[in-house]
Amino acid sequence: MASRIRRPSRYVGLGVTAGLLAAFFFLRGCPTTRQASNGTGPAMRGGQIVGSDRATPRSFNRMVAADQPSELFDRLTQGRLVRINRATFELEPWLAEKWESSADGRVHTLHLRRGVVWSDGTPFTSADVLFSVRAAYALKSGSVVGTSLMPGGAPIKASAPDGTTVVFEYAAPSGPGVRLLDMLPILPKHKLEAALDGGTFGKAWDPATPPAEIVGTGPFILREFQIGQRLVFDRNPRYWRKAPDGGTLPYLDRLVIEIVPEQNAELLRLQSGATDLTSGELRSEDYVPARRSEENGTLKMVEAGVSTDADGFWFCLKPEKKKTDPRFAFVQKPEFRQAISYAVDREEVARTVFLGEAVPVWGPITPGNRHWFTPDLPRYSYNPARAVELLKRIGLEDRNRNGIVEDEKGTEAKFTVITQRGISNYERGAIVLKEKAARVGIVLDIAPIEYSTMLERFFDCDYDAIYMRFLSTDLDPAGNLDFWVSSGSSHVWNLEQKMPATEWERRIDTLMHEQAATLDDERRRTIFIEVQRIFAENLPVLYFASPRVFFAHSARLAGVVPSVKRPLILWNADTLSVTNP
Amino acid sequence: MGAFLLRRFVFAVVLLVCTSSTALLLTRLAPGDLTSQLGPIASRSEIETTRARFDLDRSPLTQWALWATRAIRLDFGDSFLFNRPVGPLVVRAAGNTAALAVVALAIATLLGISLGILTGSRQGSRLAAFVGMVSMVCVSLPPLLTSLVFVFIAARTGWLPAGGMSSAGASDMGWVAWIADVAWHLPLPALALAVPIAAVFERLQSQSMADAVRQPFVIAAVARGVPSRDLILRHAWPASVRPLCAVYGLVIGALLSGSFIVEYVTSWPGLGQLMYQALRGRDVYLVAACAAMGAVFLAVGTLAGDLLLAAADPRVREGDGA
Repeated sequence: MASRIRRPSRYVGLGVTAGLLAAFFFLRGCPTTRQASNGTGPAMRGGQIVGSDRATPRSFNRMVAADQPSELFDRLTQGRLVRINRATFELEPWLAEKWESSADGRVHTLHLRRGVVWSDGTPFTSADVLFSVRAAYALKSGSVVGTSLMPGGAPIKASAPDGTTVVFEYAAPSGPGVRLLDMLPILPKHKLEAALDGGTFGKAWDPATPPAEIVGTGPFILREFQIGQRLVFDRNPRYWRKAPDGGTLPYLDRLVIEIVPEQNAELLRLQSGATDLTSGELRSEDYVPARRSEENGTLKMVEAGVSTDADGFWFCLKPEKKKTDPRFAFVQKPEFRQAISYAVDREEVARTVFLGEAVPVWGPITPGNRHWFTPDLPRYSYNPARAVELLKRIGLEDRNRNGIVEDEKGTEAKFTVITQRGISNYERGAIVLKEKAARVGIVLDIAPIEYSTMLERFFDCDYDAIYMRFLSTDLDPAGNLDFWVSSGSSHVWNLEQKMPATEWERRIDTLMHEQAATLDDERRRTIFIEVQRIFAENLPVLYFASPRVFFAHSARLAGVVPSVKRPLILWNADTLSVTNP
Repeated sequence: MGAFLLRRFVFAVVLLVCTSSTALLLTRLAPGDLTSQLGPIASRSEIETTRARFDLDRSPLTQWALWATRAIRLDFGDSFLFNRPVGPLVVRAAGNTAALAVVALAIATLLGISLGILTGSRQGSRLAAFVGMVSMVCVSLPPLLTSLVFVFIAARTGWLPAGGMSSAGASDMGWVAWIADVAWHLPLPALALAVPIAAVFERLQSQSMADAVRQPFVIAAVARGVPSRDLILRHAWPASVRPLCAVYGLVIGALLSGSFIVEYVTSWPGLGQLMYQALRGRDVYLVAACAAMGAVFLAVGTLAGDLLLAAADPRVREGDGA
């Protein structure tokens, strides 16, 4: 039988091998589909850019959805009264061209820009602002914005003496003042009032809404939305903002956001030229391939600066949950947490976890937050001997020579640290922490788990310790009161306390409330330095390194102003352009 | 035949009810829920409102009963992630997955069977050894890796789009241009999905073909001087195809599970990607609806496999008739 069926020629094998080798060398040396071009020079009008995001917006109505894609959608299609510049963090006039504040800081009168129209041609007036304020506090209708707009713990009262003036009255003086209004989406009354009155506001402008129904004052209008695939935006021909040369903005005719859920595929698409930018920063493992693409002229890598957030490590310090845990006796002592801080070499964390692209930090306010950062705080430079000494001081020693410190009753300093699975810098950071803690006799077992599971355990205080990063919502500490004050929902180590559990937390509460209500900036800074000093002495959360934020974009993209806050590039989408439209 | 189809229909309904109910209850009972998507700084009131909207404030059984009552009226609930009813979402995604699965299956079948015939009929040759080795590698490759490899090749060469189902603006170009555009985007995910299955088909076909060519009736045909091509295609292959038909239904079911990661990596907006997002976001009603649609796929796949087997093997037909 075998003789009847022809055997392949011996040259077939050689041919296949040669083909594979040729394919390898071809792929290796193959030019990418789009060659780089110079990204500097005057902005040109026209053309399109393609960005990518990992998910689709939950709603086109930012009032009822706080997810990142919904926030990006809102920034592209809607305007705010004032804008915090994501590069300088300075407050800029936007739909309101100027404002005055009363001497007590409670009343702010904003004058709206004249001639602004919605993308359907309807004039923008103070009635739209009043409607937006009403919608923001309609919590039962699904608003997720109102809880962040409570200066003095009460909703802002708004009134409109005329069509271009709006008066905001705060319940108490507010340090951030008008800055708070950057968080208030301004939506069209003529399109959404019926939904708000009819109780359907939560579903208004859901992703099934025809694009023509969605109007805005932002630089772009939605042209097409294909669920799970892409959003296509066209330039808003009625956009109010003008370029420095007096011409119209935005420069781009079209902006496409492709939905690419997988992060590796997102980077590959960027490298190939299929997209011009990604939604987020590069991971540390992406630096090398991105740098290589920069060298061959396809991409530009940009450092936006030091991140304003750092990975944190904390124990659950809720006495009512932990009172039966014998380890709580020493975990609640600041010396224990200080010992861990001394045990960790922050330079090594920066080197190994972030591949050198990070700076050591000793508190939640990183050098990236230039206005509120202070270097003059207690620091715990790497000193394992000092760590052992501190542990001894609170009765923790390795009495049975098993490498683990224990108290007089034999309770060992052994903990499980939960962290989010799949986030490489969390997993690497937790491992470095584990190794360093082991050298001073503290055992940390690392358990990477699903995000939703981790959050559930976090809210229930059903954990020993957590390693993860909380993203601050505002650079101004008064905008993050939830983190600082003991009753706050983001007071991570002991959530929503009825009364401050410790004296130092009571002191921070007092100082933070004073800071938030103080109008003088210098005084606010002084108070906040004191808050940071108390925090650094008691270390409820330990911070080790804050990464430098890098992102990459195609070389043909111009007008990029880097920001460490998302959206990193598209925050100023109206002034982005391409060099070859 | 009527009784057979009725049995299959009842099986499909039972499978659908069991799968979707189990998916709903497991998603509900797993630690964490969809409110984690609101993030760690969501207010208590926001979390409570969201839990109430998705019946998460009730016991799992009550939630299941409410969902089942609504499902009888074809109301499968809302998706949290997409803020809209899950029915149209799942139907649309299933259509996209069906298109992908049909193409992937066609590629896998053509490639797997033809290579299997080649290697099975040339046992011991270098070509057979080489193809067999490549097949073993492809069988062992996880879909994540094959997808990334194909995306990498597409990204580096520009021969194919590096992901997605259509180009921006394709829907403005008319139906014909849109279909051509989708066809241009299909090969990448289809190949990523088809390669491991083709390798399985090749191994099965190769083995059964090698067995077939040693059968007395093939040797008799050789003795009669039947040309080698006819020998293989008309005599040996029909006798060797049965094991392949037997696994066909299962492979169609496996296509869906394989499509989870392939669709995710290649940004193909199908059922796999939707299910993956739903599971990660604990989007309870979307998970249940995706599982139900997966059960439909499996039932259809099993039916197709049975019909193919019946067509290929007269003994199966006779058994059914009896």
